[in-house]
Amino acid sequence: MACLTFVLLLLASVILGHAVAQPATANAKPSIDVPQLFATTCGWCHSDGGRVAGKGPQLMDSQRSDDFLRTRIKLGKEGAMPAFGSTFSDTDIDAIIRYIRALKPEQG
Amino acid sequence: MSNRQDLALSLMLAVGATFAAVPGHAQPVDTSRIAAGSPNDWLTYHGAYNGWNYSGLDQINPSTVKDLSVAWIHVPGRSTRGLQSVPLVADGVLYYTGSYSRVFALNGATGQVIWSYFPELDEMLVARQTHSPYNRGVALGEGKVFVGTVDGRLIALDMKTGKVAWDSKLQDSQKLTVGFTGAPLYAKGTVVIGSQGGEWPGRGPIYGVDAATGKVKWTFLTVAPTDEEKKTWGNDSWRTGGGGGWMPGTYDPASNTLYWGTANPAPLYDWSGADWKTTGARPGDNLYTTSVLGLDLDTGKLKFYHQELPHDAWDFDSAVGEFVTIDRDGQKYIVHPNKGGFIFVYDSNLKVKNVYPIVEAINFVKSINPQTGELIGRRDFAAGKQAEPLCPAIDGGVSWNSGSYNPKTGMYYKIGNEWCITLDVVKTTPVTEPAAQLNIGANFKLVPPSEGQIYGHLDARDPITGAKKWEVRFPEPPMASVLSTAGNLVFVPDSRGILHAYSADTGGELWNHSDGLGHQGGIMSYAVNGKQYIAVVAGFGGMVSDDFAPTFGEPYKSMPRDDGVLVVYSLK
Repeated sequence: MACLTFVLLLLASVILGHAVAQPATANAKPSIDVPQLFATTCGWCHSDGGRVAGKGPQLMDSQRSDDFLRTRIKLGKEGAMPAFGSTFSDTDIDAIIRYIRALKPEQG
Repeated sequence: MSNRQDLALSLMLAVGATFAAVPGHAQPVDTSRIAAGSPNDWLTYHGAYNGWNYSGLDQINPSTVKDLSVAWIHVPGRSTRGLQSVPLVADGVLYYTGSYSRVFALNGATGQVIWSYFPELDEMLVARQTHSPYNRGVALGEGKVFVGTVDGRLIALDMKTGKVAWDSKLQDSQKLTVGFTGAPLYAKGTVVIGSQGGEWPGRGPIYGVDAATGKVKWTFLTVAPTDEEKKTWGNDSWRTGGGGGWMPGTYDPASNTLYWGTANPAPLYDWSGADWKTTGARPGDNLYTTSVLGLDLDTGKLKFYHQELPHDAWDFDSAVGEFVTIDRDGQKYIVHPNKGGFIFVYDSNLKVKNVYPIVEAINFVKSINPQTGELIGRRDFAAGKQAEPLCPAIDGGVSWNSGSYNPKTGMYYKIGNEWCITLDVVKTTPVTEPAAQLNIGANFKLVPPSEGQIYGHLDARDPITGAKKWEVRFPEPPMASVLSTAGNLVFVPDSRGILHAYSADTGGELWNHSDGLGHQGGIMSYAVNGKQYIAVVAGFGGMVSDDFAPTFGEPYKSMPRDDGVLVVYSLK
């Protein structure tokens, strides 16, 4: 039983370790233009570039942690948000999070 | 035998012939039977090839509808993003699908499960998809049930057992990230299904598949199938794609013609401004996106077409919308709604005979010439924030849900939606390889029309002239299909979850009942052993419905988006 528990814990740690993306190394450059990405893809659900709620939640002023956002972008949410873990690198995802944190209401 | 006895016997025989269906005594479902459209059955997505979404049954009518109540329900489980399917019925057996292309065959009188089939899907792919995992239904033919999957397959099941007859991979969904959500269409030995694809760098294929073997007979690329059409996509922009034929079209046995609609090009919103023929993301008409096509069923060759919106810059595709076939005064008409809120009326060669709007909130064009179909006063956007919202909204003046034509009243019953979006058009780098799913080209949010609130309406109109007889308004746009019947009723399943029955003559409400979940799928009618049933799917969620909670609040805020139920009604 102890052996099985260990294996399950090991498996869980591997899965969680895979799921929770780590911040990318400091010098890497993202391969994406995040404002364009919102205009092509993310904005379908996160309306007005993520400034207001649409099909998905408002991202501007999100109280979610970086780790939460990173994991949600990678794994998605069944029936609500696609998983982008195989599309974006950790560096790309960091750039997306920086964009979200910098969002401000549009003027005018 | 007296005349009265003669009459009684005749009536009994007539009723017996109408209601002779007994589960388990299936007749072969073939092209002639689908074309004939027996009132006991519902053999194809729109009931019959005529595209009417109409039932010839009249047991449920203005006098009896007060006694309509739930006969049985079925819960398919795992209804991620609700239910969008149109149930089919043949010989007393009901076939329908849930999310993930789960297929059920149920006893139409009792709901008892005869068989079920849950395909094993590529779950990793499904997790990456935006327009997934819902499914809009099956096709029947040659003793088989045909269903598409979001991982790019078309599967044939034995109608009696649910066992797999063949399972054909039609497209590389791993690469393209899209597959099939629409119902297939069966006609004369061929199963036809169109790929998803208005927002992706694919070429929107429509596939003709051998019903017996599952082998592809032909493929029609809706985006630049030949070098000639590539000239309508400047700067090789055909590579950005779009144009999926994602909803089922219909078939005309007399001319062996398949009628099919196609989606918008990508990106949805172009930054070209008025010079769209020479500049912007995809200079030119972008054939054959946002078009209606006439294809030869046997070869997939293009016979004729009409591009409803040349260079669609608004995501108002033609894949939505039934093809309603009407004979009037010796002339055959085909009526087809476009997502932009206009109804196009064609002859059988898709030559424009009339065009009329069914929504008020339209400003992407000033009008459409009813004689030629030419767009007049079109709005083509330059990059940047647009001062005036775009109407209708991206969710459509009409959506993919079907209207209904009733030959007894001569009216076409169709839902229109009044809503708009703010729009900030962004000049983007061309997306020519499938990457991060979509290719929109703008930031936007849903807003009311300048004249007032967002709402939806059921219109009763002359299908050819567009003359409106009456209208019923809904506080939120209804997202499900409409059914009209020989019982002089029009059924509207609304977004809040209420099923309404209206007088087909006046629009007066005669009955309603809550199904507990918002509707966004099909509704149809059939009969078993002399009893008429109304079947409707309930279960909310998806690319349009997900806008309801942030826009309208309750009841959508607390409404599940991962639940669903098939509700079947009959008279007490």
